Amino acid sequence: MLDSKIMKKLYKRMVSIVGTDYVHQQETDRVLNAHDAWPLSEAKLRSGEMLPLADMVVFPSSREEVSAILIAANEMEIPITPVGGGAGTCGGTLPIYGGIQLDLKRMSKIYDIDDQSMTIRAQAGVVGIDLEETANRHGYTLGHTPTSLRASNLGGFIATRSGGSMSSLYGKIEDLTLGLEVVLPNGSIIECKSVPRHSVGPDLRQLFIGSEGTLGVITEATLRLFLLPEERRFRSFSFPDVHSGLEAIRNIFRVGIHPSIARLYDPEDAAMSFSMHFEFEEGYCILLLGFDGDLTHVDLDDGKSAEICMTLGGVDLGEGPSKRWWEHRYDMYYPTRLTTSGYAIGDTIDIVATYDKLENVYHSMKKAMEATGAIVMSHFSHMYQNGGSIYMIFFTSQPDAETAWAMYKKIWDEGVAACLKEGGTMSHQHGVGLSRSTYTEDELGSAFQVLKKVKEILDPKGIMNPGKLGLGVRE
Amino acid sequence: MIFDETHTEQIRMCAACPKMCRHVCPTFFAWRSDSPTPHGRALLIHQAIIGTREIDERGVEVLFQCLECSHCLTWCKPEIDIATIVEEQRKALVAEERRPKGLVEMAQAIRQFHNPYSEPHMSRNNWLPIKKKKGGKSLFYFIGCTAAYREQEIASSTVDLLESLGYRISIGNGSSDEWCCGSPLFRTGDVELGLEQARHNAQMLNEMNVDEIIVTCPGCFRALSKDYPEHGLILNKPVRHISQLLNDIKDNLPAIDFMGKITYHDPCHLGRHSKIYDEPRNVIKQVSNSNLNEMERTRDNAMCCGNGAGLRTLFPEHAKKIGMERVQQAKQSGASILVTACPFCKNMLQSQSGNDLIVLDLPELVLQAKRGRKVKTH
Ligand SMILES: Cc1cc2nc3c(=O)[nH]c(=O)nc-3n(C[C@H](O)[C@H](O)[C@H](O)COP(=O)(O)OP(=O)(O)OC[C@H]3O[C@@H](n4cnc5c(N)ncnc54)[C@H](O)[C@@H]3O)c2cc1C
Ligand code: SF4
Ligand code: SF4
Repeated sequence: MLDSKIMKKLYKRMVSIVGTDYVHQQETDRVLNAHDAWPLSEAKLRSGEMLPLADMVVFPSSREEVSAILIAANEMEIPITPVGGGAGTCGGTLPIYGGIQLDLKRMSKIYDIDDQSMTIRAQAGVVGIDLEETANRHGYTLGHTPTSLRASNLGGFIATRSGGSMSSLYGKIEDLTLGLEVVLPNGSIIECKSVPRHSVGPDLRQLFIGSEGTLGVITEATLRLFLLPEERRFRSFSFPDVHSGLEAIRNIFRVGIHPSIARLYDPEDAAMSFSMHFEFEEGYCILLLGFDGDLTHVDLDDGKSAEICMTLGGVDLGEGPSKRWWEHRYDMYYPTRLTTSGYAIGDTIDIVATYDKLENVYHSMKKAMEATGAIVMSHFSHMYQNGGSIYMIFFTSQPDAETAWAMYKKIWDEGVAACLKEGGTMSHQHGVGLSRSTYTEDELGSAFQVLKKVKEILDPKGIMNPGKLGLGVRE
Repeated sequence: MIFDETHTEQIRMCAACPKMCRHVCPTFFAWRSDSPTPHGRALLIHQAIIGTREIDERGVEVLFQCLECSHCLTWCKPEIDIATIVEEQRKALVAEERRPKGLVEMAQAIRQFHNPYSEPHMSRNNWLPIKKKKGGKSLFYFIGCTAAYREQEIASSTVDLLESLGYRISIGNGSSDEWCCGSPLFRTGDVELGLEQARHNAQMLNEMNVDEIIVTCPGCFRALSKDYPEHGLILNKPVRHISQLLNDIKDNLPAIDFMGKITYHDPCHLGRHSKIYDEPRNVIKQVSNSNLNEMERTRDNAMCCGNGAGLRTLFPEHAKKIGMERVQQAKQSGASILVTACPFCKNMLQSQSGNDLIVLDLPELVLQAKRGRKVKTH
């Protein structure tokens, strides 16, 4: 909490930039805007705990206002925590050292669609679904389909290096972002031009994609567009074990097929997600496939993939499970009695690895996490030619808050340690935020010093989202 | 304790939701902050229930910003109705004399004038000519405050239309006068004063010698058909919304070619709260030779017009922003005529429509068809 003299000065300064209506100091606003969708924050709120609060929430409307806010904050050494949709899962928007929460939701303009280049430009605060629906009206899709599409913002997608459930075909946000505008902590506004490829030194866009508000504030971006597919086809198979299912996926990508969806549910997750609606052998895994494109290509890819699956022991379940998953993909994120009762808490560790390591990572993490007593179920969620990601989902319920939060941390510690030991990477798309901040150095190894140095140069006073991404942790 | 166990559990669940319905909340749209949102409101109430922190002055404001449109409910898998929860909490805040000043003034106006506009009660309905007719089914037209004082065209079109269709119309007057239905009070937590209005209306309506009661205002419709019986006030004759009546006789309605495309805006109290979606559409299709173009957000996914539950009284600029967005959605559908079935919605939408969109209430559209008069569009 800032002392009252500084607060007054800061408030005046902020009001002079954005106007009184857009500087919120009341406790209610600070409480309701504090948290993202980090399961630990949600569980704490449910149990009656207060989370760390900012001193004020400021809502700018333009890059110039963002710049003026950062200049003031830098001068006064006030922490800045950018807020997008506030639906991140890692506590990235928690203002753990107070200061300003810089909420970009008012910056929601969608500019032009460039039909010729197939791109769309928008401000960072536009909600994902609004951008996608605009693209759809013109016959396009962003190809970015995270299940937080309705809650998260463009800026948040980019700041966390997020990935949609069809990233196998369309790519993650780092593949979809062509141009970027960022305001640096000293207030300077920089632009990374929208070009398909370039050869002018390192790709500076990638420095900010995934920077989680620690290096600057993303204010605008240009994204790629794809034609809405003529056909979206679903296909499902059951496999006797994880190994054969994974082999099927690997071989599908190996021959150059790019399904839009490739998800393999382990026996526990398959039972939980599909056994109520479909018949398949107990203890089997379920593979969901999806194909986007014109009819001829979809026919070909679907046929060839089915052949591969069947050769490797897959049993054809038709479109049912895959289509049902697609139509109900948001359902699992709603609160239920079970997941919100008492001191229940669950989370997902969304790791990623190459095929040579992936199966070992899965088994090791599962073993380590289950050893804590947690319920663990998993699916291989986003797959590519060289490997893919696993959603290691866990759930625990404890008698009191202290035990629950300690157990939550233990499961994370054990899970991430097992992942790193087997050569996996601790996040494919959710980012680091607060939940993984302490593991960042271990994850990046010697490369962490590069990130630290970049941070020191761009943000010498350490005002940008301190404590996240393993950077700017204060004693 | 104002909430029962089920509500308390729902509030706790919603307080831990990753904002799954926020994208359709009109007050989130208008403020672009996480405070005036379904999850935000639930979290405020949850924290008060379990004693984390009390609802402070700003919290009260956030709760009274809710339009009670129930759009969030359409998108809520566990089916948590924030509008009902907010209304319960408002009752407690009214009892603690903590409701916003603007709503205290509105309640005073209703107490004194029996309408929220502080207009003289005398002139409520006396401007509306009614033909003395014999024969035909007798209908009592419960006009409602907005059509009586602000959207008189709707009231007169309704009477003209119903009379031309052969009905015998009566309206509240003299000793059998109509008071505010109580809807603005029920929705903003003042049940006591709402019931004072309701008791008068119920007695008056029950003494009327008519076959049924017709309303054009969905707020009145919900009050008369749901709030009154919930509080033990049973009306001895059926209550129908004009869209239901017109739907039942749609085969007798004429059809003309309206110039330009027509779209329809679902009023929250008629659609989501009373599940009347098809009736107005059937009528529009009938009188326009099926010239109905849906907006992208329609039926139970229709955006609120912004005029509900006192928002326009308290935050006119934000309410208008919502109305303006709904008008844009109508224009996006390619329509040049926007039809609704609510004087309140019409009032808001028309105020934002500009000159390239005509806004009409359902009886107005039907009357135009009946008179064979084309609506002029630009
Ligand atoms: C129901 C649900 C489903 C999800 N599904 C997916 C999924 O399928 N795929 C996926 O990748 N993720 C998913 N997530 C996680 C999350 O939504 C994403 O990580 C998303 O990208 C976060 O965006 P946001 O706008 O909500 O960001 P926020 O939570 O607001 O912020 C996230 C981080 O980015 C920073 N930040 C935000 N905006 C800016 C900006 N403009 N400039 C600089 N920094 C900024 C914040 O400071 C914070 O550190 C899901 C989350 C939920 C709740
Ligand atoms: S109303 Fe339902 S969907 Fe909306 S925030 Fe609450 S629980 Fe989530
Ligand atoms: S009822 Fe309407 S205004 Fe109120 S929280 Fe739900 S969507 Fe928002």
